[in-house]
Amino acid sequence: MSVRKNLIPLGVFVALAYGLPLALAGNRYLAFVCGMTLINVLLACGMNLLYGYTGLMPLMFAGIAGISAYVSVRLSEAGLSFWLAMPLGALAASSLGVLLGLPSLRLKGFYFTLCSLVIQSVITLGFIYFSGFTNGDTGIAQIPLPSLPGGISLAGPPYELMLATFASLGIALLIALVGSSFGQRLVAIREDDGLAEALGIDVTRQKLGAFFIGSLFAGLGGAVYAPYLGFVSPRSFDVLVSLNIWLMVAFGGRGTIWGPVVGAALLTPVPFLLQDYYTIKDVVYGLLIIGVIVALPSGLAGALKLSPRPGASKVAMRARPEKAS
Amino acid sequence: MTAPLLEAAHITVRFGGVVALRDVSLAQVPRETLGMIGPNGSGKTTFVNVMTGHLRPAHGTISFDGKAMAGRKPFQIAAAGLNRTFQAVRIFQELTVAQNLATALVDAMHPLDPDAMAGAIDWLELGHRMTARAGGLTLYEQRRLELLMRLVQQPRLVMLDEPVGGLSTSEVHAMLGLLAELKSRTTIFIIEHTMKVIREIADRVVVLLAGEKIADGAPTEILRDPRVIEKYLGSFDA
Repeated sequence: MSVRKNLIPLGVFVALAYGLPLALAGNRYLAFVCGMTLINVLLACGMNLLYGYTGLMPLMFAGIAGISAYVSVRLSEAGLSFWLAMPLGALAASSLGVLLGLPSLRLKGFYFTLCSLVIQSVITLGFIYFSGFTNGDTGIAQIPLPSLPGGISLAGPPYELMLATFASLGIALLIALVGSSFGQRLVAIREDDGLAEALGIDVTRQKLGAFFIGSLFAGLGGAVYAPYLGFVSPRSFDVLVSLNIWLMVAFGGRGTIWGPVVGAALLTPVPFLLQDYYTIKDVVYGLLIIGVIVALPSGLAGALKLSPRPGASKVAMRARPEKAS
Repeated sequence: MTAPLLEAAHITVRFGGVVALRDVSLAQVPRETLGMIGPNGSGKTTFVNVMTGHLRPAHGTISFDGKAMAGRKPFQIAAAGLNRTFQAVRIFQELTVAQNLATALVDAMHPLDPDAMAGAIDWLELGHRMTARAGGLTLYEQRRLELLMRLVQQPRLVMLDEPVGGLSTSEVHAMLGLLAELKSRTTIFIIEHTMKVIREIADRVVVLLAGEKIADGAPTEILRDPRVIEKYLGSFDA
């Protein structure tokens, strides 16, 4: 996986990420869809590291983003600068995510996914239960947009430019990780963790590392999401949101850098387009998930053969049969 | 007498009520090729699984290179220089041969230097297959890739679990040539089903039967041991 061959697409992405919100600045609604897409690109990069490269399907992904969102909002309210609250929230979320995920990291395939679903449910219940901190089902409204040091407000296009920066840095980080020996170990674990271990790779430690970094992506996404919408509630971070991010990765092509980015760009606008038909929105999503699993197990990138993707033809939901000895 | 490289003492493994290994002890000195034979289900693979940390024994101690290995994880044992292959060929099927090789090197404690590596690739005749998907190789090529992935880690000991399984007669013959050469590069522990392979390359043979060691000696002695003949060879094509 060469870093160099990703430079041109990265340049194109950066140009689009900064250019589109500026071009659409006259239409707040479309600019907002752009901003949401950029947040989802960031989230999809983290999900891709875990699902695409490590072979783990973390359905607690939205829950981790939520923890970060709540923590950073409350820290900002307490008077901390957003620029400190955001990384602290993300760190808190990924640390908590790793702690919650510890027992499940010994599992793989389907069993990990099932365990992550339980963890997501517990986090969602926690958001409702600890209403002193989260304001329960009512949620937290009127979350102010952060401002730059010196009091310059980020309202409007500047916030989208900030999101563009985060999304671009997120992709660049993923490219660097995938091209490193760390990325090599993760792919080995995805392909055959038993063989990886027999070749001297500390599987549990590498999975922990991937989980921590993937959760950081989730945490940053959650922290920038809250002030952008101005409102968070347990429903903002429930399992459907996790599945939504997963779908972007699976639909675009897991285990490729650009597949999930395209997936996020194509799928983020769907709920906005379907706003008038909200009753069938979930049906459309359900059909998309089934369609991807049946027709595009390796996503758009696989269908278009954009790049040779080792291992993407296997559906990771499947538990790998243990070898009898 | 050289100090043993691998020393297993009183290894007992139970799966529920079934005793898979009962009080098995053996020692292997450096450069000695030790064979292990026994009928299906006699505990050969279980023994390798215990030595490489894939299974914890109920009793017994393992020392490798003078250090206690019991309780260590497979990756730690691999890092200590004890490598293994698996009974069914096990490579990263979806990755290319070059990527498989790179993965074997990523956490290697003592990787081969580039010249020696090029030599090993030539020796195993995999140079022209480097960009091929490993899953698309022939079984014999996959077996060679397995060997290459161990060899580049410069292990002190390689445990091979039926390395000629599934190969054609001519491939078995070629593989035996490779294994004979491999003996000069590292120490080999080899599980086999067929006496022919053991007779050709092993210096010493351990016979397992229903989880117990029933014989231990030179291949020629083993072939004459009445217990082995009665329990194993008598009912088996030798």
